Amino acid sequence: MRGLVRSRRRERTWTDRYTILFGAAVAFVLAAPAAGRAVGAVPGAADPARAGAGLALIALLVAGALAAARAFGPVALSPADAAWLLLSPLPRRAVLRRSALILLAVSAVAGVALGVALLAALGAPDHATLRLLAALAVGAATAVGGTSAAVLAQASHRWDAWLLAAIGVALAAAALAAVTSMGPGRHLTTAIAAAPVPAWLAAASASAAAAAVAARAWTALGRIPARVLLDASTRSGNATAAALNLDPATLTWIAEDARWRGRRLRSRPWPAAFGPVRVRGALAVAWQEWRRLSRRPVRLALLAAACAVPALTARAFAPHAHAVPAAAVAVLAAGALAAAAAATTGARRDADDPALARLTRAPRRAVLAARALLPALLGGAWLTLALTALNAAGALPPGPWWPFGALCAPALAAGALRMARRRPVDHALPVLLSPIGSLPTGPLLWALTGADLAALGCAPALQALADGPSPSLAAAQAATGALTLTAYLTLNPRP
Amino acid sequence: MAETIEAVIEARGVGVELGGAPILRAVDLTAAPGDLVAVVGPNGVGKSTLLRCLAGLQRADGRIGVFGRAPADEPGFWRDVVLVADEPSWYPGLSTREHLELMRAVHGPARMDAAAALELFELTGRADLAPLSLSTGQRQRLSLAMALLRPSRLLLLDEPERGLDAAFRTRLADLLTRYAADGGTVVMATHDPRLAEATGARVLTLEPA
Repeated sequence: MRGLVRSRRRERTWTDRYTILFGAAVAFVLAAPAAGRAVGAVPGAADPARAGAGLALIALLVAGALAAARAFGPVALSPADAAWLLLSPLPRRAVLRRSALILLAVSAVAGVALGVALLAALGAPDHATLRLLAALAVGAATAVGGTSAAVLAQASHRWDAWLLAAIGVALAAAALAAVTSMGPGRHLTTAIAAAPVPAWLAAASASAAAAAVAARAWTALGRIPARVLLDASTRSGNATAAALNLDPATLTWIAEDARWRGRRLRSRPWPAAFGPVRVRGALAVAWQEWRRLSRRPVRLALLAAACAVPALTARAFAPHAHAVPAAAVAVLAAGALAAAAAATTGARRDADDPALARLTRAPRRAVLAARALLPALLGGAWLTLALTALNAAGALPPGPWWPFGALCAPALAAGALRMARRRPVDHALPVLLSPIGSLPTGPLLWALTGADLAALGCAPALQALADGPSPSLAAAQAATGALTLTAYLTLNPRP
Repeated sequence: MAETIEAVIEARGVGVELGGAPILRAVDLTAAPGDLVAVVGPNGVGKSTLLRCLAGLQRADGRIGVFGRAPADEPGFWRDVVLVADEPSWYPGLSTREHLELMRAVHGPARMDAAAALELFELTGRADLAPLSLSTGQRQRLSLAMALLRPSRLLLLDEPERGLDAAFRTRLADLLTRYAADGGTVVMATHDPRLAEATGARVLTLEPA
């Protein structure tokens, strides 16, 4: 069938070939300096604090990538192929071959990036080229091996259990590396970083194991059940559609709906009161978010564990500076906003489809205010813990940091609610020409909606990260945070 | 002297044009407490549009009054009016029973409790599932259950029979008749003449504009 489709296509001309080659050359020219800079930035000798933090971040990335591969497939087909080729007598491996090859190429490229990151974390005191090659091999082996294991997990429950165990091991390794970066067991990372070259080569031989797993995955392609592939194809089809339509909000809907579909829940009546406050009207509407979050303990635990990531980032980028590097500030801000946004699904649903909001007929401003409580609590608590971790890691200018988390909470809630209730991407907005290329303002404004308000409301705290905390900045943060949330609640009455 | 009953709906010369094409033209509708009105007609004749006009979700020419004022998409209006149209986006993390509990918790004294609604709408066996785990017809029942559980004075139903089996349509007719007998007003757009007949509804037939 694919042959038939191909036969009806126009034959490739010299212009097509020239375009492909030119595109590849441009990609190489653009990527080569970045790769050169990355390799050039590899430190000569390893710093144990930096190595531990770097390894922890890499392990977290690997765990996240494996979890994503498990959630989205990884082997999936286009909607047309899933409909016409999958449920046909064609050999399954032949149907899946193209997807598998694309997956292999993507994981190999990701593996190279992983290798460079690994070398950047561990340093190269000697035999730089050999170490680079070994690191690349380890990175590629990890990525290809992990992806292959995820493919095998689609075909067998046993491999799925092993993949879950591998994710757990990666998370445990991240925790261990994070601890070593703080001091205890630092000799472990020092030993890994200073390992003699043969040990590196031995580690690189992991690529042989990865190749074996990949070969096994190739064999298993023919055994992946159609049901699993159809589910994966639907999920990745939805994700692709969301990406092509530049509407990432759809993804959160899909993920949330997929989470609850088919799940049996223990229904409980709505509480009559929450402490001294009666749960009626707007508060009863907002209670949905508390109930949903109470059913996601793993997510809450991951959120709590993620409080350490800004400290790890600070150590990985500037292990001995008493100032927060820009990357750690970015991770801190994104994490606090993400924590607040984890409790805004009800607001998002009502903004996208106000049918249930009309049915509840609770006053909109009161509902919005009630819905700000949980994001403020989560965002504030997360920021407090993350600042405490950063302070413990010695990455913050000295001073009292503990009040800033709570003082930023209202602004984080306002930003998270604004983010949840933003309208879809407006593709009719103009494209701006800039020195770094064309900037489509629609997606850009969409991405900034929410983050803008949070940044504005947390401006004094951001200033404190640069200059150090002071009572005047804390007072300014208290006023700015309260003012931001009040203004947002007052000016945004729509559902 | 006979007591004057205030009209719940008073619509005169309602017209809607979308993209230059007329959808509704000069539609009149009056409904009093206890009235059941079935709006019928072929696809595209403007039944759903008329309901959206009555709900204040669609601008229209002419004059529309609901409870003596222009309909408006605001909480004060929805205190008395319920609209059941397309399937709503269910709140994530809540079960079927909890969606009904939410209605009761928000509105205070309800027309029935969650357990009674589950039984009446034959959803007891699915009470602990998320609404997305239900079949199309069961989700429609849940929508109707949420609408009928909360206190209201006017029901606007867009094809309430959508996805329902024949037996439940009979029960729905009974539920709507009881709602009207309690003083409520029902305006429903429907393609099911038996539902209109079983409720004893006054039929408003729309013609292509």
